[in-house]
Amino acid sequence: MPMKKTHLALVAAFALAAPFTTAVRAQTAKPVVIGTDVDAGTLDPRLTRDTTAYRTTDLIYAGLVHLTPTLEPKPDLAESWTTPDPKTWIFKLRAGLKFSDGSPLTADDVVFTYTTLLNPSMNAPQRALYTPITSIEAVDAQTVKFTLSAPYAPLLTYLDLGVTPKKLVESGQDIGLKPVGSGPMKLVSWTRGSEIALEANPNYWAGAPKVQRLTLKIIGDNTSRAQAFEAGDLDAIQSPLSPQDIARLAKDQRFGAVVTAGLGVTYLNFNARDPLLAEPKMRKALGMLVDQKTIVDDIYRGVDQVANSVLLPSSWAYSASIKQPDFDVKGAAALFAEMGWKKNKDGILEKDGKKLALTLSTHSEDPNRVQTLEFMQAIFREAGVEAKAQITDWPSFSTNYVQKSQHQIALLGWLNIVDPDRLLFAQLTTGGSTNWGGYSNPAVDAALQEGRSALDQAGRAAAYRKAATILAEELPYYIISDQGYQLFYSRKLPLTVQATPRGNLRGLIGFND
Amino acid sequence: MLAYVIRRLLLLIPMIAGMVAVTFALLLIIPGDPASVLLGQEASPDAIASLRAALRLDQPWHVRLLDYYASLLRGDMGRSIFQNAPVADIIAGRLAATIELAVVALLLATAIGLALGVAAAVRQGSLVDTGAMLFAQLGVSMPVYWLGLLLMLAFAVKLGWAPAVGRGEPLAPAIVSTLTGRPAALADALSHIALPAFALAANSAAVISRLVRASMIDVLQEDFVRTAYAKGLRRPRVIWRHALGNALLPVLSIIGLRFGALLGGAVLTETIFAWPGLGQLTVAAIAQRDLPLIQGIALSFALIFAIVNLIVDLLYAAVDPRVRLG
Repeated sequence: MPMKKTHLALVAAFALAAPFTTAVRAQTAKPVVIGTDVDAGTLDPRLTRDTTAYRTTDLIYAGLVHLTPTLEPKPDLAESWTTPDPKTWIFKLRAGLKFSDGSPLTADDVVFTYTTLLNPSMNAPQRALYTPITSIEAVDAQTVKFTLSAPYAPLLTYLDLGVTPKKLVESGQDIGLKPVGSGPMKLVSWTRGSEIALEANPNYWAGAPKVQRLTLKIIGDNTSRAQAFEAGDLDAIQSPLSPQDIARLAKDQRFGAVVTAGLGVTYLNFNARDPLLAEPKMRKALGMLVDQKTIVDDIYRGVDQVANSVLLPSSWAYSASIKQPDFDVKGAAALFAEMGWKKNKDGILEKDGKKLALTLSTHSEDPNRVQTLEFMQAIFREAGVEAKAQITDWPSFSTNYVQKSQHQIALLGWLNIVDPDRLLFAQLTTGGSTNWGGYSNPAVDAALQEGRSALDQAGRAAAYRKAATILAEELPYYIISDQGYQLFYSRKLPLTVQATPRGNLRGLIGFND
Repeated sequence: MLAYVIRRLLLLIPMIAGMVAVTFALLLIIPGDPASVLLGQEASPDAIASLRAALRLDQPWHVRLLDYYASLLRGDMGRSIFQNAPVADIIAGRLAATIELAVVALLLATAIGLALGVAAAVRQGSLVDTGAMLFAQLGVSMPVYWLGLLLMLAFAVKLGWAPAVGRGEPLAPAIVSTLTGRPAALADALSHIALPAFALAANSAAVISRLVRASMIDVLQEDFVRTAYAKGLRRPRVIWRHALGNALLPVLSIIGLRFGALLGGAVLTETIFAWPGLGQLTVAAIAQRDLPLIQGIALSFALIFAIVNLIVDLLYAAVDPRVRLG
């Protein structure tokens, strides 16, 4: 039991530090200040879309489960759960749960949270993750029953969504601005664009956290945030950080560091609808021109890792033996020749009098992606592909280009891949809602469906490995790198810091798994 | 005079209408859609279409523009798509921080500009002159974000004299509480504003110092200066009372215009120093395609700029008896 450990550790700490108790108290009474890159858009957990909103609502609210650093769902508000059949999930809530305002939390609040989330007029960004839920009902005040349209194994990982107070919301309170939850902390004040101040919630079922006050300071610029941390204005900062800042902070003895695998990938999205890219062999040849090692070592300065396949190394489904083609310029040249492409006098590949000309695109907000794209453009040209680079801002690139399937090869990323399903199902099944490249393969469809339906992890892992093997050969996606996650904290913090790859902050207020 | 002020204020109406139309047109031209930004990469096309309808983005552009004018007439600037709060409230919450930063930067820029400009002009060709003009060259050519990061590195990270980022106590109330015997708030406010204000002021200080120098050199050669010396007045009195007063006239109108440049510069400065003002809000609103908020901010900037210029024109008339308004 994690809580017992924390309590024991606390007792031990106080026993050892008996003469210094006041000093320790004084220190914990000072707020822990954490730097973050964007202001939260809303503090309603059903509507969060930015990392700050997600991380803050994870403190203010509690869900049925919470995810450990290894992404395993552990009981939070739910004490236990059962699955009488693959389409039914029954959750038993803990006794005596309360919101931070003292009002009771019951099954009705859970039903309300998910019912409103699924209502299309709510326009919840994560709604698609929950659509297999057909009904949710309160069996009694402490029991909630979910009924699904089809077996849907990833659901459990998504049930860490904060439970919202039905009565308060229905009385008209905008919990996006004035949140009330049942998590370990509660909101004190929110100065838009500047800071979010929280304090311990004594009504949390596991007791108040060790850290009494926590402030999130919003500092948009990565380098400014790193400098504010070095100047001592902040106690902790985390991804996104610039590689040059990471290298400097990692050497500083004043700071503790966690540098680990994150939950995101950077990848090339090949438009399989484009006549030039329809054939897997062409995508394979182009994939062989991606120098992953140089990109990761020199552009991402080792913060990200070279990726092998669509399965993340941190995932239980990962298998080292599934590999996309490596960087191999000669191999690529051989494949081009097999397909009938020959270099003309200018060194550009030609077939039937037409040049092999392709547009590589990405967005301007991420300088590392821009650099990666320009580096790839150079290698493509060297190999005889007339590559054009197109760099626009995110909304122009994403909404008006890639999402309309107008791209040829787009460089972009996916985040929050807490389950393999989240990177693969909507993206690569035939007609999937985010299958912008129009890829279609019935064998992959079947494997990804199997990954959703199988309820045991071994069965799911086998299905995802089968899909990943086909995808590494056909390459609708070429995964360039698995994103890293970094957390730096002041060694003066009076607690044991625990990081999660999602950047949750519970490990910075004294709750460790 | 009053008639002049009223006429100038009435002129604001067509200016606002035109400015709104231009901003609206720009927002139509730039691609990207708040609905898809709001819902993220994972959203289905259906979900995006439903949100577009809810935000009335599926309406023809002229309907949306006329709607916006109509709501402005009712004194309503609309609701922010991302913050789900009235645009006017959001802007009101940020305005004080930006005005504070811009005013302190303007005072700083004027003080530095005057001191350097006068020093350079009275010792024309000396080392002081060269040094001051070198500063001016640097100030004009150094990007504000780079200067900001350098200042932060030197004074916050290495020396620890000032906090790296953020706004402390609001300055105006802090001054009041100092007068009532509690100076701690003022120290906090000043330590936070020093670095961003200096970063923001550098460019304007450079421009002002060059102008003051040129203007002073001209004035110092005028007959009335020779007369003043002939009357037996001492040099400091001639320079500060007689020459500077006259040299200031062209500078005054530039100082008004610089206020506009400072508001523009505040966008970058506020982002670097995490200063919670309109500039930082602008960057966020544009990145999110929060159309009503962008409109509201553009409108506020235009109004502030117009009003500051009106004030400068009134001051000009007050300082220069040859200028008559009416």
